[in-house]
Amino acid sequence: MKDYIRNFCIIAHIDHGKSTLADRLMETTGSVASRDMQSQLLDSMELEREKGITIKLTPTRMNYIFNNKTYVLNLIDTPGHVDFTYEVSRSLAACEGAILIVDASQGVEAQTLANAYLAIDANLEILPVINKIDLPSARPDEVKKEIEDVVGLPAQDAPCISAKEGINIENVLEKIVTDFPPPIGDDNLPLKALIFDSFYDNFKGAVCLTRIFDGEIKAGDEILFMQTGKKFEVTEVGVFNPKMQATEKLSSGEVGYVAASIKSLSDVHVGDTITLFNNQTHQPLPGYKIVQPVVFCGIFAVDGSKYNELKEALLKLKLNDASLQFSPEVSQALGFGFRCGFLGLLHLEIITERIEREFNIEIITTAPSVSYKIFKTNGEELEISNPSSLPSPVEIDKILEPIVKASIFTPPSFVGAVMQLCQDKRGEYKNMVYLDANRVKLEYNIPLGEIIYDFFDKLKSLTKGYASFDYEIDSFKASKLVKLDILLNGEKCDALSLIVHEDSAYLRGKAITEKLKKIIPRQLFEVPIQAAIGNKIIARETISALRKDVLAKCYGGDITRKRKLLEKQKEGKKRMRQIGSVQIPSEAFLSILKLDDDK
Amino acid sequence: MIRIYVHIPFCDSKCIYCAFASFVAENGVKNQYFDFLNNEIINSNLDDKVVSSIYFGGGTPSSVEPKQIVRTLETIKNNFHVLSDAEITIECNPCSTSQEKLFSYYNAGFNRISFGVQSLNNSMLKFLSRRHDKRVALQAVKLAKKVGFENISADLILGLKKGNVVRDARALINVGVKHISAYMLQVEEGTQLKALVLDHSDVIKNDDQAVKDYNRLCNFLDNHGFERYEISNFAFNGFQSEHNLGYWRGEKYIGFGLSAHSFDGKNKRWANSSNLGDYYKRKIVQEVLSKEEIDEEKIMLGLRCYLGFNLKDVSFDLENNKNFQQMIKDKILFREEDQVRLNPKYYEISNSIILKLLS
Repeated sequence: MKDYIRNFCIIAHIDHGKSTLADRLMETTGSVASRDMQSQLLDSMELEREKGITIKLTPTRMNYIFNNKTYVLNLIDTPGHVDFTYEVSRSLAACEGAILIVDASQGVEAQTLANAYLAIDANLEILPVINKIDLPSARPDEVKKEIEDVVGLPAQDAPCISAKEGINIENVLEKIVTDFPPPIGDDNLPLKALIFDSFYDNFKGAVCLTRIFDGEIKAGDEILFMQTGKKFEVTEVGVFNPKMQATEKLSSGEVGYVAASIKSLSDVHVGDTITLFNNQTHQPLPGYKIVQPVVFCGIFAVDGSKYNELKEALLKLKLNDASLQFSPEVSQALGFGFRCGFLGLLHLEIITERIEREFNIEIITTAPSVSYKIFKTNGEELEISNPSSLPSPVEIDKILEPIVKASIFTPPSFVGAVMQLCQDKRGEYKNMVYLDANRVKLEYNIPLGEIIYDFFDKLKSLTKGYASFDYEIDSFKASKLVKLDILLNGEKCDALSLIVHEDSAYLRGKAITEKLKKIIPRQLFEVPIQAAIGNKIIARETISALRKDVLAKCYGGDITRKRKLLEKQKEGKKRMRQIGSVQIPSEAFLSILKLDDDK
Repeated sequence: MIRIYVHIPFCDSKCIYCAFASFVAENGVKNQYFDFLNNEIINSNLDDKVVSSIYFGGGTPSSVEPKQIVRTLETIKNNFHVLSDAEITIECNPCSTSQEKLFSYYNAGFNRISFGVQSLNNSMLKFLSRRHDKRVALQAVKLAKKVGFENISADLILGLKKGNVVRDARALINVGVKHISAYMLQVEEGTQLKALVLDHSDVIKNDDQAVKDYNRLCNFLDNHGFERYEISNFAFNGFQSEHNLGYWRGEKYIGFGLSAHSFDGKNKRWANSSNLGDYYKRKIVQEVLSKEEIDEEKIMLGLRCYLGFNLKDVSFDLENNKNFQQMIKDKILFREEDQVRLNPKYYEISNSIILKLLS
């Protein structure tokens, strides 16, 4: 039986056609009727389809007949983004093979390489596939050579396909069967299964996505999560077709789901090993780790009275996303909200968008921050992710910030600009490799704090969108960092504080005060806006006092119109936050991130 | 006691900045309108029949045949008890104002006249598509005075790039104007002005300049015995508009005609449709105000004028409102016992102050 199973995943740089190929494989194997076919089936979240990225993993099972034999192909989709590297590595561990898609025009990109290395590290058989050969700019032969030279994989026999047009899909299916090895494992050994993802189902509770390595699992089994030590009774096992379908059991080599009335996703850790309570395996699977958030920001409801709704929304999102962290935060400026931790900027963006879209709560997010290690002069050591909790400068011995290893792929004509950008972002040059005449790979060590500011947007605009970029957290390093405070009418606004490098503090302070002057409406009195480091004011702007309101005619006793206007303005005022005696609009809090937009 | 507003939606031409219910029409349409309007008055069937003021506004009441105006006023008089000292106002356009018309208004019982002068700068008048010029405007005021009107008001627009609002006010006072209303020019949605000027900067002053105009006008009028009894209204020595004050005091008023508004003096406001067809079908929009809305209106309307409001009349706990106390301390608001008034120095930003008080 196991000889007819193939477990594989598809890896690619963003937008190289991963989800489209997945759809096409399912369609070709008849796993979905074409009338049910909705473009990019696996990306079931609205947001995923819109952004063209995969956030949650969705495995699917296909039947494929080759040489008169029926094979079961388990496709384990992987999220394609750097924020979810750990999830990718876990889903790779559930496979024997990986299809590496490379765009026939764009060639190898930063994430192609990063993902390919992950797959190689996981000992997977890799099948390169050249996609989008229908495009006039396709250059499959050059791209094959690039794969051999840059990634170091043989690619001469790589199928050249167009997932969009359905060209050569059979070839890919054949190669899945012939090139990828069947799973090895023993049904008779004690159960050993990997949790590579989880999601929350309203009826079944937290559901584990698993790959069975040894043994088998069925409803009624008493199971143990080896890392967390929690015990559950299995209520249902099954496979994805691509919808959930209960089966009698899952045996070694198979991929499917396990439901066990688990109340909370926080009991299910990706990477954990499932075994039978009464017949435990002696070797849990290696590589278990708890994912730590690296990017943090405060989230507050625009309408302060919606605090509880916001809490509900975060709790619900966390049900399906164990990596999201949050704890209550009180800001003097923004009131009650939450300090949230994310795996990266994209993760942050996804969560905030989902809160607004799926839960209809308008939110204010404060500027994202990273986590700093602080060594105090009294020997105390602490980790902070909220600028306002930074101790006063005299108490600080040194501050360490996270540094990432960044690889950037760019056409040679932009190398100068990219290097300049990296330098501006306090990057430390590591290496530069000419991959071929059209592409250069640059390696830098850059503080994560600079990456989350506006690095990606700048990189894209400097290189007209040609550069690709990937990073991984590398180390912590001491830097000359200071807290930049913003004062409105002499009062510090905690939600606007930032931790910045000393050298750029003055320019940032000036840019922020200028920007705020534009955004904050005139008040009944003059309002000074100041940027300060400690007690030292480094920049100042002034908003002059309000001079006039509209003096409109109140005609023929139409008081209703006046009152409606007043109500509308009152509504608008609800969106304002009061810092001391100054009213500031909620946009102000994010605007400090987008200082360059106006220039 | 009630006040009556009568809306005459007709004009000889539509001004480019006008967003009110008004239009140019044939005589047949006008006659039909007046027939319906008079019927509306006759059938109004109100308990309260004592009328303390009447206001004919528009549109341009002077653009229709005077006999229709006289007939409508007669209808009111026949169906209500109009007090002998009632203020009865008609709005007039300087260029549709003949001595003959003014005579018939005066004889019918109108005792207050309000001219839509707007400016005495000919190029601005032309731009605003007003059909009179400076000479015609001043002539109209003189005529009204000659006919016997004592209580004469003129509207001025503030914030126009050209012209001088203080000079205009002086000229108008010199020919006998006793009351001035001054409004900032608004570029309203759906007006020609909106469509015409993408960049208003060559016709309209910016906020700072406009407010300077306003302050200069206030000073000038103050020096000439005109009291600013409401944000936009200035009256010489007792020539305040009783009718308008009724609005600010929250008194009962009934509107007749297209888009006319009414208030029962308690908690109900209603308005006729501003669409002629719907008006003829007697479509009405009505709203019942909550206690909170009524109190908000009391503050909003009271602070617009010299009357202010009484703390005992509103249910909001302003005594414990930080903003309120601060504004008393800053002398933005004056308080005498329970009566609260806005410092006239802050009239131009009354809106922001009211907002601050209510939110």
